[in-house]
Amino acid sequence: MRVDIKSLGTFNQLAHEGAQQATASMSQMTGIDAVVDVTKITLVDSAVVGEELADQEFVGVQFDFEGELSGRTALVMDRDCSETLTEALLPGDSGAEMAQSGVKEIGNIMMSGFIDGWADYLETTIDHSPPTYIEGIGRDVIPTAEGDGESDQLFVFKSQIEWIDESVDFYIYMLPDYDSLTDLMTTHADTESDAIPIDKLQVFNRMTERGTQKAAENVSMMTGIDTEAEVSHISFARIEDVPKQLENARYVGTVVEFTGVPSGFLLVLFDETSAKNVAEAMMPVEMDGDELTDQHTAAIEELGNIMTSGFVDGWANVLQTSVDHTPPRLVHDMGQAILDPLAAQVGQHQEHAFIIDSRMRTDDVEFEAEIYALPNEQELREALDELMVERAEETDADPDKLFQ
Amino acid sequence: MKVYDGSQQADASQTERIKVGIAEYDVSTDGAVLTTSGLGSCIGVAIHDENADVSGLVHVMLPTADEVDGGNAAKFADTGVETLVEALEDAGGSRRAMIAKIAGGSDMLDFSKNGSGIGERNVKVVRKTLDSLDIPIVESDVGGDHGRSLRLEGETGDLVVKSANRDEKRL
Repeated sequence: MRVDIKSLGTFNQLAHEGAQQATASMSQMTGIDAVVDVTKITLVDSAVVGEELADQEFVGVQFDFEGELSGRTALVMDRDCSETLTEALLPGDSGAEMAQSGVKEIGNIMMSGFIDGWADYLETTIDHSPPTYIEGIGRDVIPTAEGDGESDQLFVFKSQIEWIDESVDFYIYMLPDYDSLTDLMTTHADTESDAIPIDKLQVFNRMTERGTQKAAENVSMMTGIDTEAEVSHISFARIEDVPKQLENARYVGTVVEFTGVPSGFLLVLFDETSAKNVAEAMMPVEMDGDELTDQHTAAIEELGNIMTSGFVDGWANVLQTSVDHTPPRLVHDMGQAILDPLAAQVGQHQEHAFIIDSRMRTDDVEFEAEIYALPNEQELREALDELMVERAEETDADPDKLFQ
Repeated sequence: MKVYDGSQQADASQTERIKVGIAEYDVSTDGAVLTTSGLGSCIGVAIHDENADVSGLVHVMLPTADEVDGGNAAKFADTGVETLVEALEDAGGSRRAMIAKIAGGSDMLDFSKNGSGIGERNVKVVRKTLDSLDIPIVESDVGGDHGRSLRLEGETGDLVVKSANRDEKRL
């Protein structure tokens, strides 16, 4: 089964417009100004869906839908957000029961618009169940959907909604059943020529996972801090949404351009606190003060370098090719400003981009690192075409096997 | 029966803030503040017409629309500026009274081996497009190797530029 880039783009756009419509309905009802920040499609392990949700209480509504497309969709927000919304909708009625019905009412209006948008585009009817109120801590709030059976990966459409004057977490998730969506993508594919076989996209996901593990091993080796690869996934978004992957806070890290098939950019980024903590863990002497010094950034540069090598080696092993990269450039700037020149460079030839996003974390020191890769879309497709599915297991290169 | 007309939330004492995302534009006619953040090689073009009291901001990403098929006009320097000027005219502005301030177009993380980077080309195309529309650029803060965030104060047309490691500038 193959999925073509255009239909991924179209589906992403559809989810984005649906989320916009849903958000507009919500703004109209409550008078609260909100905009849809990012919409992206992610191919992800069902076990990590919703990992971006913080460890706090979320509430929302969930619908099941069936028809040409089947699955589940949910609107979730944190508890504070739901209280603000309910207060705007039903001033003075702050009882728990009212809060629940407020959330349900808003959810109902928003999500009907969202599902209708899909049905219109697909020129079909999609039935949906009445809304069910849901609550839970972090990712537990997200409903489950049917994965692909074998590897349990699924496509998730996620829109993040931002309120103009407040910082709250508010998301729309759409989790189509894997087979239902891939059938639909195949039906709506325009051509076979630029299609990517889905199983290879999954392999690529795994390969990125291994790359991240390797990078994490390198960090452990260099710093003595036991570091684990946490999540990695491949997602697909409009070029202009790429920089929004990062907060506008400042980050420190390294960027390289890699060449070969595919070519593209690879970023290793630390938020400032993480950068400071991890750099100090590498230094022989105690540092005073809260400022990031040249010594900190030098340590980060070194770390970025070995993480890049680890990650790129992981890829090269699977692709059985060499992936060269430029020496790392140190960056220390606003997150979005770091990503935008890279997105623009990739965006000269394509309207959408695959974003490979991995994270690692450790329990010893408070530190989190993110790895982003922005490959050239056309070349990624070529690389995947060449890729043998069995080779995904070979990221831990076994020389005997490779050179027999 | 409750009517959800949004009036309960209105707060006249607070200046409205309009967020302009990447490859988006917006116009302010009531003194509202327009903001955009995280400009690397992207450029923010702020246009103000004092007589008509209208201001607009566009956040463009790539030099020219010719290079890529279709898509969103506000993504490109040439069509983005043109689209913003049309929107300002629709809102009562007059091209003859408009002035422009531009910021961004940094050459950070430019890996191109030959020729000029995207930031520089963005600046060039913005200048050329404004010139062809006879709109003067009265202030600019472009180039360099750092990111910027912008705040356009609709009332005065002042453009405040913030950078990660530098002092705030008011253009």
